[in-house]
Amino acid sequence: MGKHKKPKQAGRLAQETTSLGTGEWQARVEALLASGQTRDAVETAKQFLKQVPGPEAEALLVKAYQARIQALLANGMHKEAQALGALVSERFPAYRAQLAALRRQSEVSGGNFHTLLTELSTADAQRQRELEVILTRELTDPTVLADSPALPADHPLKRGARAVCDLFTAVTTGPLPEGALAALDMIPRHSPLAPWKLLIRALEAFYRHADAAVLANLAGIPRDSGPGRLGAVLRRLLGENEPMEDRSFAVATLLDKVSGGRALLQSRLPQLNQALTRKDGHKALAAVQDLLPLFQSTPPALRRSFLATVLHHWYHQELSPQGLLRILPGGKKDPDTLRLIALTLERRQWDAALDWWDSYLTAAAAAGTLPTTGPELARVLLHMVALFPADPDEVCDILGVDDEKELQRLIRAGEIPAFFDRRALLERARVADSDLVVFRALVAYYDQRDPKRAEAEAEAWRRAYPQDLEPLLYLMRAAERRSALRKALDLLATAELLNRVHPEVRQSRFRLLLTSAERRLKEGKPALALDDLALLAQEPRAGEGDCKAYLLALSWAVAHKIGDTAATTRLEQTLATTVDNPVLAELTLGTVAGVLGIKLPLQTGSPTQLQAIDGLARACDLFHTLGRPLTVPAALLTQVEKDLASATSAQLHSLCVGGLWLGRPTLTYAASGQGLTQDGPLVHRFLLARGRALSAATTQREQDRARQCLRAARELASRARDMEAVREASAALDSLPDWSAFDALLQGVLTPPAEAPPTQEEVARTITVECRSRSIPRFMGQKASRKPRRTPSPRQQLPRGLLNEMLSFLLEGKL
Amino acid sequence: MNPFTVLGLEETADDEAVRAAYLAALRLSPPDRDPEGFRRIRDAYEALRDKEHRLALRLFGPPPLADLMELLDAFPYERRYVGPGPWLNVLRERRR
Repeated sequence: MGKHKKPKQAGRLAQETTSLGTGEWQARVEALLASGQTRDAVETAKQFLKQVPGPEAEALLVKAYQARIQALLANGMHKEAQALGALVSERFPAYRAQLAALRRQSEVSGGNFHTLLTELSTADAQRQRELEVILTRELTDPTVLADSPALPADHPLKRGARAVCDLFTAVTTGPLPEGALAALDMIPRHSPLAPWKLLIRALEAFYRHADAAVLANLAGIPRDSGPGRLGAVLRRLLGENEPMEDRSFAVATLLDKVSGGRALLQSRLPQLNQALTRKDGHKALAAVQDLLPLFQSTPPALRRSFLATVLHHWYHQELSPQGLLRILPGGKKDPDTLRLIALTLERRQWDAALDWWDSYLTAAAAAGTLPTTGPELARVLLHMVALFPADPDEVCDILGVDDEKELQRLIRAGEIPAFFDRRALLERARVADSDLVVFRALVAYYDQRDPKRAEAEAEAWRRAYPQDLEPLLYLMRAAERRSALRKALDLLATAELLNRVHPEVRQSRFRLLLTSAERRLKEGKPALALDDLALLAQEPRAGEGDCKAYLLALSWAVAHKIGDTAATTRLEQTLATTVDNPVLAELTLGTVAGVLGIKLPLQTGSPTQLQAIDGLARACDLFHTLGRPLTVPAALLTQVEKDLASATSAQLHSLCVGGLWLGRPTLTYAASGQGLTQDGPLVHRFLLARGRALSAATTQREQDRARQCLRAARELASRARDMEAVREASAALDSLPDWSAFDALLQGVLTPPAEAPPTQEEVARTITVECRSRSIPRFMGQKASRKPRRTPSPRQQLPRGLLNEMLSFLLEGKL
Repeated sequence: MNPFTVLGLEETADDEAVRAAYLAALRLSPPDRDPEGFRRIRDAYEALRDKEHRLALRLFGPPPLADLMELLDAFPYERRYVGPGPWLNVLRERRR
């Protein structure tokens, strides 16, 4: 095709240009050269010479040829450039000198330095400079100079090139000894080897992590010099965002090798991130495949971080794991991979995770990476046990069994895998390692299922770890639960030898002795009870608050039991003197007498309001702290509830707590109402008490008030950082029926809108409302008042229990 | 970041190895010159000094990183010696 076209093109060109003058020819050729169309420029110049032969045309043609040769060199066509240069030199001998530099360059670009170097050794100063410019630009391997036969052995360039070769090899192979770079000092600033000198210095600084020195040296290397391309590569290795003009295979390989793969990581990791975000499994898999070899040579901890992170994000994005498992190292046989998969799954699917853990145990044992006994195995087994949900019903639901008995039966029959047998896992853990964490897990497991077994495990723990306090305390509590108080006290004595200042140890003796004294009195062993009381009197807690009153009451009971009337009277007087409040004395004696079956003569005399309030408040505190029931005459309660104006905040708070504890919400209601009028730091506590009392009211209006009070209490408690009150308020709110959820369900909304915390104005409004609400509501369990009441609205008549039933039914129906 | 990686330890390291790695890391990143690095080293040491905790990390770690790109921070900054060949290969390629 081209062959046929050429003559036509030449013919057409000839036809077009026959009428052109010299100036026009020149202009045309110059225009073509300016636009880079060197081939057309040459053809046009040829036509010009043919049409108007002469020196001008010749000069123009040679110029066009020069441009053409340069264009060939720029395109890397060195051989073609050389051939053309030779041809032009032969055809136009007068221009040989003009073409010489270009011919040298084309030879040198093609790797042939011989002619240039031969000329260099004999050239004059100016010619030498021209040739050195070419050398500076084209020298991409200093061995060319170092090994060239064209230069004499003592030529400075040759000696310099030898030094450059040796040092370049040395600096890229390992650390340089002190002073090694001094060999480069012989190379002058304008030498063709100067860029190499700077490059070697830059490399030396690079491996020393002296990045500023690297950049300073690179700044002196011209970009079009022989080693200039390596400047951009070094900058990229320093972490600079250097735009790479070419991303050739050699550049990518160098970056990867020197950085230990970091360059590849920098490009692939964002790709993986993006693919996961877009849930593109195919691209994500490709990126993981590229990244895996990088992490194979990193420390195992980093490799595991990579795998754990990829697995986590993979599962989080709900991508199919099959492809990923196929490419992971070792696949399903690698213990580490199995372990990481199990860890990834257990966040959402504990049952599937157990399967993978079981596989891990098998694979790790087979690979020898996990000993068949010892702490590692025990910890994994305990970890598997800990994966089970706390609620046994949830376990049964997931496994599709009715109860644990059926689960065990199906496991024995092989229908359900053995790793769902918690007891078996624990037993394996015990066999593997008798560490205290194993014992702890065993005791916790059997505690709710088989208390006797739990105690046996705690005993075994104690024998294995006699210095450990935990099993002792567990056994002590278990003995106390069984009313084996002597044993509990013996265990406590041992615990005290180990750690006397432990909080539970410190509190237990008083509690156990008190229980023992009371039991001995009930059993008709007053003398033994006296022994306990004598020991109790020595306890520090005996002197706290009104504890002494209770102990006096017990002493009084002992005296009564043994028939010592004088002692009885004396103790009554001592009690009265000690507590300095007839109400407290009466309540204490009365309650103790009632519990122990002692008949107490009826007390005459009406206490003052102050005495009644103080006495009741202190009695509530005392008996609540001791964990003992308190018997309060109804008349006293009514008296106190009627008028609390003279009560202090502390007394009101005690009455609030006491009322709830006694199951007397009216007391709490009255005390909290009075407390709210007093303002002060306990406002949130009074709101909490009020709310809890109102929770027991029967009408929906009071239920709403309860909710408002509890929300306000929680908000104020939060601000006061009383976290215990916050927790109590939250728990109380949770136990209230949620009308917003009920309303939402009726409207078809499963999730009710979240409530914002009350504002300061809402809290203030709640307090105001409660302060004004004087009338005591009707609480559940109370008899209806005889006073005629106005008929309540139909909605308010609906019992609370029925509404809860309807709510549960609707919830189940929806679910 | 995985504490084993921070201190450059194998996951089977014992108490002595942990302490030695910690002291060596401190020499490279003292608190006055590299407070951020010191904090990382200190956190890693606190995580690894207890044998039970170390065992738990080995068996049940490492925790996954919230952001994949954090792996870049954990990847070692190496500057490997590769000989003159790969460097010269870049220059031998034809200029485009």
